[in-house]
Amino acid sequence: MLTDFGKILIFIILAIVFVIITLLISKLIRPNRPTFEKQKVYECGENPEGSPWVKFNIRFYVVALIFIIFDVEVVLLFPWALIYKEYGIYGFAVGLIFLLILGLGMAYEWRKGDLEWARPQPKPPKLSDILNRNSETLNSN
Amino acid sequence: MTNLYQSILLILPEIVVSSVLIILVLSDLIFHKDKRVIPFIAGLGIIVTGAFVINQFGITGFAFQTSSQTVRNYGMMAIDSFGVFFKLIVTASSLLILFFSHASNEIQKTKDRLGEYYALIFGMILGMFFMISATDMILIYLSMEMMSLSSYVLAGFTKLRDRSSEASLKYLIYGAVSSGLMLFGISIVYGMTGSTNLYVINSLIQAPQINLFALSFAIVLIFAGIGYKISSAPFHFWTPDVYEGAPITITAFLSVASKAAGFALLIRFIKTTFVSYIDSNGSWTLINVFDWKPILIGISILTMTLGNFSALWQDNLKRMLAYSSIAHAGYLLLGLVVFSNQGLIAILIYFIVYLLMNLGAFLIVMLVANKTGSEEIDDYNGLGYTSPLLAVSFAIFLISLTGLPPTAGFIGKLYLFIALVDAKMIFVAVIALLNSVVSLYYYIRVLKHMYLVKPTESTATVVPSLNNRILVLALAAPVLIFGIYFAPIVDLAKNCLVILGL
Repeated sequence: MLTDFGKILIFIILAIVFVIITLLISKLIRPNRPTFEKQKVYECGENPEGSPWVKFNIRFYVVALIFIIFDVEVVLLFPWALIYKEYGIYGFAVGLIFLLILGLGMAYEWRKGDLEWARPQPKPPKLSDILNRNSETLNSN
Repeated sequence: MTNLYQSILLILPEIVVSSVLIILVLSDLIFHKDKRVIPFIAGLGIIVTGAFVINQFGITGFAFQTSSQTVRNYGMMAIDSFGVFFKLIVTASSLLILFFSHASNEIQKTKDRLGEYYALIFGMILGMFFMISATDMILIYLSMEMMSLSSYVLAGFTKLRDRSSEASLKYLIYGAVSSGLMLFGISIVYGMTGSTNLYVINSLIQAPQINLFALSFAIVLIFAGIGYKISSAPFHFWTPDVYEGAPITITAFLSVASKAAGFALLIRFIKTTFVSYIDSNGSWTLINVFDWKPILIGISILTMTLGNFSALWQDNLKRMLAYSSIAHAGYLLLGLVVFSNQGLIAILIYFIVYLLMNLGAFLIVMLVANKTGSEEIDDYNGLGYTSPLLAVSFAIFLISLTGLPPTAGFIGKLYLFIALVDAKMIFVAVIALLNSVVSLYYYIRVLKHMYLVKPTESTATVVPSLNNRILVLALAAPVLIFGIYFAPIVDLAKNCLVILGL
């Protein structure tokens, strides 16, 4: 029979096989057009090498703060889910209140506008600008 | 099951505070544009909380008892009249701080973040309430963090000023270190005794086979965490910078409420963990594992001497009051050093008086700073001629802080010194007395600037609004009245001695 560690072994094997198969399939069906940026190690848009003392974009912190809500939620909901039946409706209500308070945190972030990205606003070049510049250079010549 | 229902009935004040916190955050979201209603919600919340706290008088019991039958059923929180007393101190100071915030230009300028300000104050109150009645080390740690995290943010609330941000950052860094040390101490105690409950630890450390060195080490670490909160001597260095940089309402709140919660925690920690029995005279006998007495005497003398002598050189009144609050922490520790109910009464009386006079002094500094924008002592030149009401009340508060009759400060000091003399610690009492003499200099120096220097053109004429005048009088009058008719506060203190023990 399987021991407890036997189950873990099966879990490990499954995990390894899953990763290998996914990588293999994507290797087979994806188009292969490497560029310099694509071949670098993926690190959330930051340079993977170099000094660690760089300024991070402030958005990372905002995302991290928003993430905390769900992090706390998951950590505390697992033990609750295991035992709330013993306490009946009372135990359920406690979990519900907890979720509502966390939901309030989410609502707070939403209302305060932390979910809005401060997006960069690139200016697409206009034809008239280019023509004006060209005519200026022509005139100066 | 029934156990949990009963516990909820015992922590009603805490539940009210958390509900008000939630209501405040919600109303901050709902009234997005116009936040005028939020201070009123906060004030109402404080009053309701106070009613629930007063309702708890006379109730004793443990909340959240462990269900394991191996040890006796001690809870995570002890509800007793000692806790109720300190909760009342916290509630009263919070109510006053709400009034202060309403009068403070500094706070009112941050209109759009007002909801957060009040919500964070309620976060601090919640942490303090749990700190006051916690009897389990985990709960002690959690409640301390709850209070500290809110206060770190509040200390830097006026974030456009460099001083404020600096204060917040310093507070955070020092606070993180001290709470880390405390957690280390707690883990050592847990490793030695296998329990985080103070009552269980008390019965376990009476056994002879305990490792005294490791235990003492752990206790020193835990004391570092609590000593940081009450700003006692080796852990006081954050106080001047934070008090100077924080918004003045928060400075006042930290100097009274946060200190009260810290003292409540320290007294409960020492009394439940280290006292083996209390004899009929009310003096406590400590378990022979850790010699608290000489250490506490040393720390309190160091605290008040450092506080008083550093205050001598301060030209910024906020900074001077910060050092004076360090010195007062030293006096308050002396009440604990006696290790008797008499000393405890002295501490409780001192806290009522300290609440009134310290908040009063900060209120005057705030009203003057509203007008002049700074807290330098030169701004007070001739204030006695231009703004007599403020100057006279400031004089009352400062004389009371010194401890001279006929003000309430004298009564506080009197009971402390009587307790010390009764415990035959005359040497310590003399040092404390000499310290009071030193403190006279820097308090009276302000009076000199207010009355003996003629007003110049730059002297501000501060005419407070009617509300603020009432507030000033409401703080100054009790300081005078309790200085003469002090039976009520002594009776109140005598009725609040019950710390749930073995």
